[in-house]
Amino acid sequence: MSRTTTEQPARRRGRHGGIKGRRLAPYLFVAPNMLIFGLFTIWPALNGFNISFYDSDDGRTFSFVGTDNYADILREDEFWEVVRNTLTFVVAFVAFTTVAAIALSLLLNAQLRGRGILRAAYFLPVLISPIVVGLIWNWALERQVGLVNTVLEAVGLGQPGWLLDPQLAMGSTVLVGLWTHVGFFALILLAGLQAIDPNLNEAAGLDGASAWQRTRHVTLPLLKPTTFVVVILATITGFQAFDFIYTLTGGGPVGATTLIVQNIYEQAFVSPIEYGLASAASVLLFIVIFGVTFANYLFARRADAT
Amino acid sequence: MSRQAAVDRSRPATGGGSGRWVSTSDRRPPSTGVVVRSTVLVVGAILMLIPIVWAVLSSFKSRTELASRPPSVLPERFGIDNYTGALSSFSFGQYFLNSVIVTVAATVLTLAINSMAAYALAKYNFRGRDFLFLLTLATIMIPLQVILLPVYQVVSSLGLVNSLWGMIIPPAATPTGVFLLRQYMLTLPDDTLEAARIDGAGEFQIFWRIVLPLCRPALAVVAIFSVIWRWNDFLWPLIIAQDESVYTLPVALARFSSQQVVPFNLVLAMSVLSMLPVIILFLLMQRQIVAGIAQTGMK
Repeated sequence: MSRTTTEQPARRRGRHGGIKGRRLAPYLFVAPNMLIFGLFTIWPALNGFNISFYDSDDGRTFSFVGTDNYADILREDEFWEVVRNTLTFVVAFVAFTTVAAIALSLLLNAQLRGRGILRAAYFLPVLISPIVVGLIWNWALERQVGLVNTVLEAVGLGQPGWLLDPQLAMGSTVLVGLWTHVGFFALILLAGLQAIDPNLNEAAGLDGASAWQRTRHVTLPLLKPTTFVVVILATITGFQAFDFIYTLTGGGPVGATTLIVQNIYEQAFVSPIEYGLASAASVLLFIVIFGVTFANYLFARRADAT
Repeated sequence: MSRQAAVDRSRPATGGGSGRWVSTSDRRPPSTGVVVRSTVLVVGAILMLIPIVWAVLSSFKSRTELASRPPSVLPERFGIDNYTGALSSFSFGQYFLNSVIVTVAATVLTLAINSMAAYALAKYNFRGRDFLFLLTLATIMIPLQVILLPVYQVVSSLGLVNSLWGMIIPPAATPTGVFLLRQYMLTLPDDTLEAARIDGAGEFQIFWRIVLPLCRPALAVVAIFSVIWRWNDFLWPLIIAQDESVYTLPVALARFSSQQVVPFNLVLAMSVLSMLPVIILFLLMQRQIVAGIAQTGMK
């Protein structure tokens, strides 16, 4: 890289021009971002790990308790219930949403009239505030006067307590999560589908493969890398789920839909406050998210290598 | 219509002749497969939209209409009583304004600091560059949910709790924004920057006058996603906004709905109003949004 400026002494230089400015410039450019980043991400991340070994009654004075927070949290039935709920939600959410998004993207990938409008319709819920999503669905799933049960009763299917029965509430939460996110993941998959060489499908067609066989044996295998990205994104989204559940079920009935983030929020900010337990739970959640992302990285590398 | 469809279908021509897309299939009756696909898609889309349409229609209904059984589909009249009611009986205007301030300020801040950092990481050789870049990438794995409490402690010790700044600043240095902009800036030709330098342009001038205008598409993607995210964000504002005077729309809606003191017809009207800005943005920028999401899967 030739530093042309040095060899042309007579040229006019800007106020911050010249070698010195050029040396200093990158540091000035990264400074604001890295300052905020360090103060509100790096430092808290390190500190969060640190305070998981401390406990406090008032949030001001902290006393060192070693690994007691972890021991306490792992002994608590409530924590294990939250873990169970979270895993149930994440597994069901990822499975159903990914399958639905693949099906939707395959359908949308065909040459259809009005595809733009259909795509927008499926994408619309992505744009709505999760709080409003929860509000609307809470109202639509209300047992007696809700829209869903009004329709079900009219066709003689009774009035299930969607948000009152613990298992149905978990199912409803998964479905509302699917409703919110399926359009987003379908768009990612659609982009993956459009990058697949159409000639491959055509060749399989000439060889006598049916539409289903072409999808099953040509398209889906080629879509694998994109599917993988979607599974990872959906998993992380699932572990972070909080907002829409807050207004959909509030974590109920009797804690049946309380997931890990709500648990952390309540331990840290809603009385009775348990700083130590909140920090320990946060570190555990981080380990899970880190593990998932790292697995993604490993798989992606292996996929590149083959 | 068919022209629109042809545009939609055009994809990067990988191999085969792209002229194939101009098909004559419009003249033939559609095959069974197409009919089935279309039907499934249309029915699915209607099911997706029903809750939203229902909410919008119901936001015009009076309290008694909302309680009537069986519920009517259309409101008796499209009056705006709920909307004026919501505006007059709560500080709805204040929450809306707070949301606008947080969204706009946060997006401007994010664009400014992300693009500067991305420029340095993409176009300069300096000590610590690779370390900073890897650090940025690594923290994509640390969502705010995981560090709520320690971030709150920092914000609290800076006296930013209960202020809009406390909502705006902490999540502003997004690692994904830096990453996306850096990748885009790598493609800018070094010669152009070097030529400007020879002409005597200062380092910041080059960034401001040459680099930023060239990065408009990438900046648009970062801006749109920042707006959607910040407008709808809930958990962080919930923690920071402890007084009603600094509530954003989602925080206000969540608080009011959980207290159940606010009549539901007003909550509905507020919800519908809160949806509008982002939906309008989507309709205007649909192409950039779709392109931005498409990049997510293309690593």
